[in-house]
Amino acid sequence: MAFLEARGLGRDFPGVTALDDVDIDVDLGRTHALVGENGAGKSTFVKLVTGTDRPTRGTIRIDGKDVAEHPEQFGLIAYVPQELSLFPHMTVTENLLMPFEKSGHRGLVRRKAMEIEAQGYLDRFGIEAAPSDLVRNISVPDQQLLQIARASTNTGMKVLILDEPTSSLTPIEVERVFRVIRDFHDRGVGVVFISHKMDEVFDIGHDYTVLRNGQKVEAGKLATTSEDNLIRAMSGEKLELGSAFRPTTARADAPALLTVERLSGERFENVSFNLHAGEILGFAGLVGSGRSEIMQTIFGYRKARGGRVTMDGAPWELGSTSASVGRGMLYLSEERKHHGIFPQLSLRENIGLSILDLTNSPLGIRARKENEAVDRIIDEYEIRTDSREKKISLLSGGNQQKAIIGRAMATDPRILIFDEPTKGIDVRTKAQIYAIMQSLAERGVGIILVSSEMDELRKCANRIITMHFGRMTGEFDTETTDNETLVGAIFSREAANV
Amino acid sequence: MSDLQKADAAQSKNPGMLKAVLRNPLMGVLAVLIVIFVASSILSPYFLTPYNMSVVGRGLAFVALVTIGQASLMLLGELDLSLGTIGGLCGIVTGMLMVNAGMNPWLSCLLALCLGAALGFINGFLTTALRLHSLVLTIGTAGIYGGAILVLTRGVAITGIPPEIQFLGRGTVWGIPMPFVIMLVMLLCAVFLTLKTPFGRYMYAIGNNRDAARMLGIRVDRIRVLVFVLAGALSALAGVLLVARLGTAQPSIGNSWVLGPIAAAVIGGVATTGGVGTILGAICGAAIIGIIENIIVLFGVSPYWQGIVSGAIVVIAISFDAISRRWLRKES
Repeated sequence: MAFLEARGLGRDFPGVTALDDVDIDVDLGRTHALVGENGAGKSTFVKLVTGTDRPTRGTIRIDGKDVAEHPEQFGLIAYVPQELSLFPHMTVTENLLMPFEKSGHRGLVRRKAMEIEAQGYLDRFGIEAAPSDLVRNISVPDQQLLQIARASTNTGMKVLILDEPTSSLTPIEVERVFRVIRDFHDRGVGVVFISHKMDEVFDIGHDYTVLRNGQKVEAGKLATTSEDNLIRAMSGEKLELGSAFRPTTARADAPALLTVERLSGERFENVSFNLHAGEILGFAGLVGSGRSEIMQTIFGYRKARGGRVTMDGAPWELGSTSASVGRGMLYLSEERKHHGIFPQLSLRENIGLSILDLTNSPLGIRARKENEAVDRIIDEYEIRTDSREKKISLLSGGNQQKAIIGRAMATDPRILIFDEPTKGIDVRTKAQIYAIMQSLAERGVGIILVSSEMDELRKCANRIITMHFGRMTGEFDTETTDNETLVGAIFSREAANV
Repeated sequence: MSDLQKADAAQSKNPGMLKAVLRNPLMGVLAVLIVIFVASSILSPYFLTPYNMSVVGRGLAFVALVTIGQASLMLLGELDLSLGTIGGLCGIVTGMLMVNAGMNPWLSCLLALCLGAALGFINGFLTTALRLHSLVLTIGTAGIYGGAILVLTRGVAITGIPPEIQFLGRGTVWGIPMPFVIMLVMLLCAVFLTLKTPFGRYMYAIGNNRDAARMLGIRVDRIRVLVFVLAGALSALAGVLLVARLGTAQPSIGNSWVLGPIAAAVIGGVATTGGVGTILGAICGAAIIGIIENIIVLFGVSPYWQGIVSGAIVVIAISFDAISRRWLRKES
């Protein structure tokens, strides 16, 4: 009998069945990969087995005991959400050991004793920060590991659920997380690993379950299946993710649309490149290599320290986002939540913001025009929602992203900067986003794609610029460059053939 | 997609009118307002008399003008604690210009409104330029503006306001008090501005997510400053109208315009964190407070107890609204 056992699990919401008749077994000392598109029911499943929501049907047994009668069994399950949920202005120690009553530190706060205990966790999880560091000052991978460490300060924990723990990490950093997961295997902890990255699933997982539209469509041992098979099971159709989405309209000899010369700013130095209409220009590098900072500086969101930018040969005003948007540049941020959506507003109001020129009149914004235009975007970008009046924060991440892209498109941009556009997004939506980028480029838009997934860059970009700690280390034609050269340029301090 | 599904999808994109009306968060406050109004009419024979109505309406008008400004700022995620002293200072200045300097009353009213706008501009400019939280900054400017009132008046009221502008405070249009009419006009403008214009959409966007608004190319700081200016001018208008009503410029004008409008906006569903609620809701909130204060007087509650009673009822009104909203969310 499995340690965590779900039988016939179902959860209905008004109008939707989020989870339907799902059986899942999680064994100790192994990793169970839970995969599926956004909205397939993964989060609902997590909520049920962690006790934050109750099932409509079915039973959950933890260590043989039905949780309906023994809710204390939920204490054996720990969950690490995808979004960082740390307290940025408190120390590593405080983040690890709060609430203090639970970690055995009753009474007054004794810093020394706590820091000694915290150091033990930092060593075990390979976290490179000091116990007294403020969390906002430590690196992203350290923060990610700290979240996992915090979950395991719960000493009774037997099953750990990790929701996309690697979505903001680079391959080397992912390996640090995997080392921790393997350590859990040795300690007899069962891990539920939720991820959209198939290579990682096969790397770390033993068992798998595929969910689609709330139902279990496949399960078994990863050793006996293939990546293609899993993707097919998730999407219900054969996806051509292997094919290239590179625009055919890239012309290197054409006059540049955007020219950046010796641009410097916060966390990057001396960056120069050209962008042509009709091409996708990729930016590769590690998290923190300065790619987002460059883009945000060109866009006017951050201050430049030096350098020059021209568009169509005319000087470009740095430091004003509204001037940039006015001249047809848009930046789609990696941080959807912080830079993309207006959480309390409806889907209509979120999209409507960029088509006010079209919908406004002397008598105010015309509701009908706005509704029609928004519905068109919902249809065209296949945004799944039951109403345009739905709060955007209630949509899945992929649908939010499509809404943001649809909103950007409605302004007829000439230059689009996509910063990690597929972070935390399922395979099918990924393919849609690639196709959208391709067709835009082929309509004459100049596109910059910042991505940490080499695969994504290779599929989409005509040229790839590599960055290392704020400096350009190379510019490559995707067609004629192999993966090793690119990865080499990301990790090397030496400038290659710039 | 089959045609049937398409029809289904089209229908669900246009939810029924009734449902949309019920889901509108404004309904909660409106229901509370109606209940309190009806209850007051039943409980006190004096409540629904024309005289009492004009007292309530006139009293509401001044606070409501400030509430329009404060609620607009709250939609942006700002708070201005100096709106009361701006109203007071502008009332004093208009009185001094008319009485002490013998200036044309209309011109001095106009100058007072400009002063209100300028003081609002100072708040907005310092908030955006120094990247301060407006709540903290305006604690300071409220002290400065309030101090200026005392320096100018030495605590003594300015009497002898020219009669030709007193109708602004005392007059009626078809039996409706003039200040109330002016407030309604301002309210209409504010509702149109916030709900039907791009400027209003930008206000909501900024209140929801300032960074995302900048990323969309919205001129965030310009809009924030402008709303501070409008709020300052509205407070000045309230101050001038109250001077016209009283016939004297009292140094105490505006003392009650600081927390009342914030409470009114919150009762009306405007979040202190920004981006949520409507101006109309805030005015309903102000009306609720106004009626409660009136009925307490009509019931002859001891003046010493009035603060406790009206405060308690405000707390009840807020919790009722919060509970009903949670209930509505569960239903949907």
